[in-house]
Amino acid sequence: MTDIAVLGLSKQFGAVRAVDDLTFEVPPGQVTGFLGPNGAGKTTTLRMILGLARPTSGRALIGGQPYHELRAPRREVGVVLETTGFHPGRTGRDHLRIAAQIAGLPAGRVDEVLARVDLTAAAGRRVRGYSLGMRQRLGLAAALLGEPRVLILDEPGNGLDPAGMAWLRGTLRDFAAGGGAVLISSHLLAEVAQTVDRVVILAGGRVRYAGDLDGLGAGDAALETAFLRLTGAPAS
Amino acid sequence: MLRNEWLKLRTIRSPWLLLAVTQVLIVVGASGLLARWDTVDADAATRAVAHVGLLSLAPLLLGIMAVAGEYRHQTITATFLSVPRRGRVVGAKLAVYGAAGLGFGVLGTATALAATGVWLGIKGGSVDLGYADLWRTVAGDVVWNVLFALIGVALGALVRNLVAAIGVALAWLALVEGLLGEVLGERLSRWLPFQAGSALGHLPNVHNGLPQWGAGLVLAGYAAVFAAVGLALTTRRDVT
Repeated sequence: MTDIAVLGLSKQFGAVRAVDDLTFEVPPGQVTGFLGPNGAGKTTTLRMILGLARPTSGRALIGGQPYHELRAPRREVGVVLETTGFHPGRTGRDHLRIAAQIAGLPAGRVDEVLARVDLTAAAGRRVRGYSLGMRQRLGLAAALLGEPRVLILDEPGNGLDPAGMAWLRGTLRDFAAGGGAVLISSHLLAEVAQTVDRVVILAGGRVRYAGDLDGLGAGDAALETAFLRLTGAPAS
Repeated sequence: MLRNEWLKLRTIRSPWLLLAVTQVLIVVGASGLLARWDTVDADAATRAVAHVGLLSLAPLLLGIMAVAGEYRHQTITATFLSVPRRGRVVGAKLAVYGAAGLGFGVLGTATALAATGVWLGIKGGSVDLGYADLWRTVAGDVVWNVLFALIGVALGALVRNLVAAIGVALAWLALVEGLLGEVLGERLSRWLPFQAGSALGHLPNVHNGLPQWGAGLVLAGYAAVFAAVGLALTTRRDVT
């Protein structure tokens, strides 16, 4: 069972402490929402978990190991980040072939994930012709390529239509039900409330809440109310 | 890892376009020279073929695109997620793009020899393939292509911004090195990269340049230093 453990993680940019002594857990078998206002330090934290940025102090472990020590990272962790891009002149299929090859995956996996995200028809076209939703689905396909045990997603719902959102929600819930750990960062609180079991709320670089969704109260607006309160938003 | 970098390289169009344009320019350069050359001799042929060295600009640009291109199109994140040991990525790019530089050099030489053969044939001569100086020039030009490819990769890793890296490279070659050369004087300016490359490629306009083998070492030195710095910075820096 693979989980994500963040231990005393901090990141300083000059005089600014963007992330301050974060400690929280993302357990397997559950979908964990990662929430916070813009500038709270969510993306910085995700980058540190993934070895893309170096922490000033503290550690982030996936299944007990830092990202760069994972033997086959793409087979353990699937990632969709906002800054994941594609070369516009390359076809969708070629992008996945490149990712599959470096991860040592059989070529057949490419067609499997393309079918799963419903991009088989568009796979032979160059990415510059893709809509935002199609790019998002290509990113998801790349994340699922290695059949990982952990999924980390940053605003994956961007550009997805309602059918796409429902599909994503189902996929993430199935993934967690199968024992995987999911960390999903999103601004869409209503959507998050339908998808997650736990939440970690970040503001000003610090954890304001880390626990079950139910712990924030009952009712449809509970998450939003608690979120606004915890992140110090001015009362409307 | 090497196969992966090659797959990345061959699944986009720009390297192939660059290769095609380079061949055209070599033919133009060789033709321009030979069309007006009165004496049809081995020396003329050598000068024509030396254009392959000038076109080492192409592998330089290609090398820059290797790393800076990934930053530009945001595929660098995926690359470093797949291969968190970033040194391996830079090493593989250096190897594959260095080989691409070799390809550019060899293909360019073939094109130049073919064009030269045609022109000399028109003028009633033929290419003397036994002329030692010709092969010395070819060897130097091919090596120049390879080393410029390596420098390109390193430059792309250092500067990361594709447009800025290309700008720096072009500005240096078109302007800055020349100006710096004037300041440094003839003896010292021989050690500057383009001058060293020219001496290595045995270009006809090089006077009092470094000896060919020495120029090769100097340029290789530049490539090594750039590559080392590029590697160090890539491993340490955060990926935004």
